[in-house]
Amino acid sequence: MNNINDFAYWMAISHLKNWRKERVNSFLYNQLFSNNLTLIDFFEMELNDWILEFEFSDNELNDLTTARETLPNLSFQAENLLSQGFQIIPINSPNYPSLLLANLTLTHAPSLIYLKGNQNLLQEPTTAIVGSRKASEEALQFTKSIAKLETQQNRIIVSGFAKGVDRTALDAALVVNGKSIIVLPQGILTFSNGYKYYYEQITHGDVLVLSTFPPEAPWSIGYAMARNPIIYGLAEKIFVAESSESGGTWSGVIDGLKKGRTIFVRKPRTNENNANDLLIVMGSKPVDKFGKIDSAPKLEQFQSRITDLLRDKQLTLEEIKTEFNNDINLDKLEQYLSKIKCIYKNTGQKYSIKNNNVVQGQFPKF
Amino acid sequence: MSPYELGESGNEAAIPFLIAYLQSSQAIEKRLAASALTKLNKNHSIDISLAKPYLLNNCSDLAPQTRQYSLNAIIRLLPQLTTDEIENIYSNLQHEDKEYNKKLIRSVKKKWNQIKNTRITKSLREPIISPDSQHSPNQTPMTPVKPVSQESLNKLGRGKIEELLLEQFKMPGFHDDQWKTISAILRGKRVLLIQKTGYGKSLCFQFPANNFDGTTIVFSPLIALMRDQVNALQLLGIQAACINSNQENERNREIINKAKAGKYKLLYIAPERQENQFWQEAVREINISMVVVDEAHCISVWGHDFRPSYRRIINLVNQLPQDFPVLAVTATATTRTAKDIQHQIGSNTIQIRGNLMRDNFHLSVIHTDSQEAKLAYMVEFINEQPGTGLMYTGTRVNAEVTANWLRFNNIDAVHYHAGLTPEQRQAIEIGLKTNKWKCIVSTNALGMGMDKPDLRFLIHTQIPQSPTHYYQEIGRAGRDGEPTQIALLYHPADRELPEHFIEISRPSHEIYAKVIKEIQKTPLGLWDLLRRTNLFPNQIRAVLADLIDQEIISEILYDSKKKYEYRFGAPALNTDAFEQLRKNKFAELGKMVDYCETTACRMEFLCSYLGDQEVNNCGKCDNDQGEKEHYRATGHWINQINKFQDTEYPILNCTSKRSNLTNGVAASYYGMSEVGGLIHRCKYIDGGDFPDSLINKTLRAYESFYKDQMFDLILYVPPTVSGPLVKHLAERISDRLNIPLAHKLFKEKKKQPQKIFQNRLLKRENVKNAFQYSNPSELEGKSILLIDDIYDSGATIKELGRYLSSLGAKEIGPLVIAKTTGGDKI
Repeated sequence: MNNINDFAYWMAISHLKNWRKERVNSFLYNQLFSNNLTLIDFFEMELNDWILEFEFSDNELNDLTTARETLPNLSFQAENLLSQGFQIIPINSPNYPSLLLANLTLTHAPSLIYLKGNQNLLQEPTTAIVGSRKASEEALQFTKSIAKLETQQNRIIVSGFAKGVDRTALDAALVVNGKSIIVLPQGILTFSNGYKYYYEQITHGDVLVLSTFPPEAPWSIGYAMARNPIIYGLAEKIFVAESSESGGTWSGVIDGLKKGRTIFVRKPRTNENNANDLLIVMGSKPVDKFGKIDSAPKLEQFQSRITDLLRDKQLTLEEIKTEFNNDINLDKLEQYLSKIKCIYKNTGQKYSIKNNNVVQGQFPKF
Repeated sequence: MSPYELGESGNEAAIPFLIAYLQSSQAIEKRLAASALTKLNKNHSIDISLAKPYLLNNCSDLAPQTRQYSLNAIIRLLPQLTTDEIENIYSNLQHEDKEYNKKLIRSVKKKWNQIKNTRITKSLREPIISPDSQHSPNQTPMTPVKPVSQESLNKLGRGKIEELLLEQFKMPGFHDDQWKTISAILRGKRVLLIQKTGYGKSLCFQFPANNFDGTTIVFSPLIALMRDQVNALQLLGIQAACINSNQENERNREIINKAKAGKYKLLYIAPERQENQFWQEAVREINISMVVVDEAHCISVWGHDFRPSYRRIINLVNQLPQDFPVLAVTATATTRTAKDIQHQIGSNTIQIRGNLMRDNFHLSVIHTDSQEAKLAYMVEFINEQPGTGLMYTGTRVNAEVTANWLRFNNIDAVHYHAGLTPEQRQAIEIGLKTNKWKCIVSTNALGMGMDKPDLRFLIHTQIPQSPTHYYQEIGRAGRDGEPTQIALLYHPADRELPEHFIEISRPSHEIYAKVIKEIQKTPLGLWDLLRRTNLFPNQIRAVLADLIDQEIISEILYDSKKKYEYRFGAPALNTDAFEQLRKNKFAELGKMVDYCETTACRMEFLCSYLGDQEVNNCGKCDNDQGEKEHYRATGHWINQINKFQDTEYPILNCTSKRSNLTNGVAASYYGMSEVGGLIHRCKYIDGGDFPDSLINKTLRAYESFYKDQMFDLILYVPPTVSGPLVKHLAERISDRLNIPLAHKLFKEKKKQPQKIFQNRLLKRENVKNAFQYSNPSELEGKSILLIDDIYDSGATIKELGRYLSSLGAKEIGPLVIAKTTGGDKI
């Protein structure tokens, strides 16, 4: 029984459409593993036993029955992957990155990971550098600088291989003989150009390529978004070079902040056209290109947004929160509002603009 | 006993006692009894339906915990509940106040619904092949099925299933081992079947395949056999197809697409097909019912015919679900090999092994004193045999020459080897079946392609590498069970050639290190490696196979091109394994020599070597009959052989679409008679010009091949190291044939002597664009006789042919003294 592998089973259970990660993991841990059952045991049971022993909805039963029928086909796929030097790591394997599990918890952690290259990089200290695809020169310089600095401290750079910040971070790290983990927004088999290009680094153990999606799946926006939490999950430190107010980078940061992560954002200079300062207001820590935290960042975008908001009205803290961004922490909002010179709070706990004629609840003078 | 103890007992005798407890006045006893019943059913699969009415009753009990535990027990009985009973339970919801119980009640109803629904839709464990279903003969069968439980199988029984066998395959019944195998397969088990050739192993997978839902994938390395099996199945009305490299890509793709659409019950593919991208993508969509591994001994390095492509088949089998049927079959596996196979495909594999005795075989070994004696003996022997037979020789050249020798002696013979085109090979296979020839002379490698049930004799002219190889190679003969003569022509010096091959089979450690180093820099394909290492293709392949096997490199498809990549974290090369294997190979060769030298029963020798437990004397071999044979060639035969060698002029196959080069002729093979020795002396040891005897022989070859053809001009290949030898040769030939000679062909590039390049690729590259003719216009429309001393890979002659054609020559005919055997191609 020593050569038996269960990868086909893991592939069957991990890519079920309409099954959220939480559902898959809770099934695995609460229903299988806690009862000393393996996935193989599960798939060998009769359909009636599935119904009797587990609580599945009708749709779930259908999904599982169909998945079972594809097991032989998945076996061919698994063998093909292993033959080409890929590794497959289920969530209950000792090789599964513990940091990822700790950061994402069973609610969000992917039950199966595909890898190519040096697995050990997953156990080393990691730093993610993320940012827009169309990043400014300033942002790219920041990226290069941080990548170099982190590499010098023997940290592994984690990035998503998107154009712009991601690629800059990767290449900057490799130039100084650093190491990197590439988190793909697509299946592990669809990266042939990348494997050619980074062949030496991969075979020398400097680059690890990782994917959580079905091996043949092509790039999609959904996958690009879905892999951002993975990047964050694999990283101890997170740097954001540049973000706009919507899109992958923005949602990634917001999501990370919600989960309580510490996130460093490049502090913007005056008149920059991005949402870095908004992210700072949302709770990220502003840093310069040496990674040093700056206690007095410029918050022009934020300021102009607030002044727009309060142009002809007065709002309480809560109301501003609702208008601005519901995810923001009230204390932080209050803290940053107090930094804006032309804003002040009246006794009714309402904020308004100083230079307005509407002051202290008085009516405008004509 | 308490309810708890009864539950732990695991004994169905506990049921009545527990039923009594269910009716107790004490809530705790009712509760514990329900719990015990659940345990008995869940952990010990004991039937608790007797308790059903009591449990149902307790579902409405006053005590909430009693209700709870009773509901849990009822869940175990859901398949047996009626609609009314379910509705009754469900109606309790109104009165139920405990949340947990409410949840249980809803769960009971929901699960019951699910079970009910799935009874109507497809279930994975349906009874097998309904025996009374109607179907027309010659058609694919009935209700599609998946593997079944032992009970279903028992229910139907062997008899009913043999009725199906009669209808589908026109056979009256199974042998016992066939039945054992098939019933295991039908139950979704893994089986290793070891049975002699002719036993009927194929039926063991064809019958289940025809009755399973979906397509069975059969991995088989033998293209001719694949084709024959597919044809036979189609005649029975069973949809089958094969995919292999002899077929056009178009055809292969068409078949794969049909397979995706579920058209075939059996799909035969060669193991190398796994490397094909198209296949890898397609196989994900084929509904696969079973995997069959034919010639399973190829899995084992300890076996006699290890093939690296089988490595992937093993890995595949290890990924397949445990209850997915897998059948591995072979006719030749020693105990050690069988153990190795078993170890690799899973220790839960059932091994079924029959005895290997072929009781219609008359084995003999003829001790000869020379190669000439062998030539003489084979003619006498064949003339005594009825029917058609097969002869194995060591190399392709030997196959050709021997076939020519037989024809020279008025025996209808033809040669067969991998150098022939697929069409030529197919023509011979068909001719064999129609008894067109008396004897086919083949290399060992291809003999497996012969599928004639009534081969009456089989001769080996060289000893095979081991008794296992020998058993397999003679296996194809006499499948019809009629008396069959098996002869091995033996000379003690014969062991030198196989020993040599074992020596060179694995290159030195440095070569491995070099290959690894090159691959670490960048992914490389086979051709890249040939270029960088100057090894023979077979050697590179052996190196690559070992490196893949030790997981140091992997094989990747880059845009459908196969390349090799280094694996990060790969272990260091383990050369101990090679040493062990080499020792083993030498030992096996030693055993083969023992077979030749033994005075005991030969069949017993072979069968016990291969692992048969009880072996008896066959009574038919030369030793058992007391007829030891030593053979010497008489003067008559020596004369005959000399006459033959005088007429044996090897043909040079060098035509190509892009040049006007025609086929040519050589006076002799380099290795045969003394020609090679003479040439070597002249070329490399300064023995002077080629002697008259060689010139005369060359001219006789010219006359025999070119006959009345007119040539305008003679040119010769400018040499690199051997001075004016070829020039003088050309001068003498020009003189004798009275054809003008020009000395205007020169070599341009500084090239290395071709001799140092091992493989064809490098040889070809060495001569490309290397030549110049000083007055090109005079060649327009001319027919040229092109002369050289040795024809090896043909790269030089072919390049010259191309070059001279480009200058307008209308025809170029090569003439050389000797054709080499090209590295002893097998």
